[in-house]
Amino acid sequence: MRISELASALGLETIQDGYEDREISTGYSSDLLSDVMANAKADGVLVTVQAHKNAVAVASLVGLAAIIVCNSRPIPDDMIEAARAERVAVLLSPESAFEVSGRLWTALRRP
Amino acid sequence: MRALADLHNHSCLSPCASLEESPSLIARLARERGLDLVALTDHNSALNCPAFAEACRREGIAPLFGIEASSIEEVHVVCLFGSVDEALDFGESLRGRLLDLPYDPEKLGDQVVVDADEGVLDLVGYYLGAALSIGFDELCAEAADRGAIVVPAHVDRPMFSVSSQLGFLPPGPYDAVEAMRPLPPELSRGFPVVSGSDSHYPEHVARRPFAVELPEGALDPSAAGSLLETLREALRSGRARPFWDSAARSGP
Repeated sequence: MRISELASALGLETIQDGYEDREISTGYSSDLLSDVMANAKADGVLVTVQAHKNAVAVASLVGLAAIIVCNSRPIPDDMIEAARAERVAVLLSPESAFEVSGRLWTALRRP
Repeated sequence: MRALADLHNHSCLSPCASLEESPSLIARLARERGLDLVALTDHNSALNCPAFAEACRREGIAPLFGIEASSIEEVHVVCLFGSVDEALDFGESLRGRLLDLPYDPEKLGDQVVVDADEGVLDLVGYYLGAALSIGFDELCAEAADRGAIVVPAHVDRPMFSVSSQLGFLPPGPYDAVEAMRPLPPELSRGFPVVSGSDSHYPEHVARRPFAVELPEGALDPSAAGSLLETLREALRSGRARPFWDSAARSGP
């Protein structure tokens, strides 16, 4: 499933659309950036409430394709700029990390 | 005397700081920009403190030696000591408790140990930007037991702060809390509030110092008593005044 397909399947708002529409294979849900650095897998999606540019730096480091920010957290401009520079998608959901992760898990396992 | 102090500065040892930002440049810029007291606080390490001590001696500016430690919850805490050795000992005690993350200097930045003449002594090969495997409460208690001035860093910032990671400021052995702007009472909880530059680039040095009333002569290298304890007393007795922007510095 591509990022754009995922955004529409999960009803996510696309905050930063200057991304490469890559195939998503997995996801990782965490709000501790050192945990993301240690355990998230490349080509995955990060589900988090950490809406700031350091989350983008970690995503880029790990090779994550997209960040889903939960709970309609406000997204600062410098995060959007950093994501554009790194071509990482930033998607926004009004739902909690629990709900987004559940939907993501189901969507990625659908044949 | 009214002193201008800045207790939060990163050198080229911190992976996220500019390679230009040597301990000697911090000391020189601090003096040129009117600071009286300045601390070096790299992430989870004090290895550039020996160079900083010498650089401050040359510039004639009073130093403190510190570490900005990262708890397992990714809360940053500034821990300050009066001597290089105490800071190095604390850093050594943290080393084995840093989470072992893969470290790629190309992506994360170099971690350079230098001397006071900007000569490269070493490149640290493990990632200093990682979190420690110690909780925030335990980290603060341990630093306080070692005699440090303990200051939770940028408590009002949306990342790496007590507010972003814990949701509130728990009770603890703090001498002050550092903030970026005027704090709501639930985040200061009666602790003294200081401003801090959190400099990572030369242009950041002295951007957010605070003013503090100290006894005459307290900053002289020959002063009786320890500068750390004099500062602690001044903080705890409410003699520090934060500045929220550089324009306020020249005010009364």
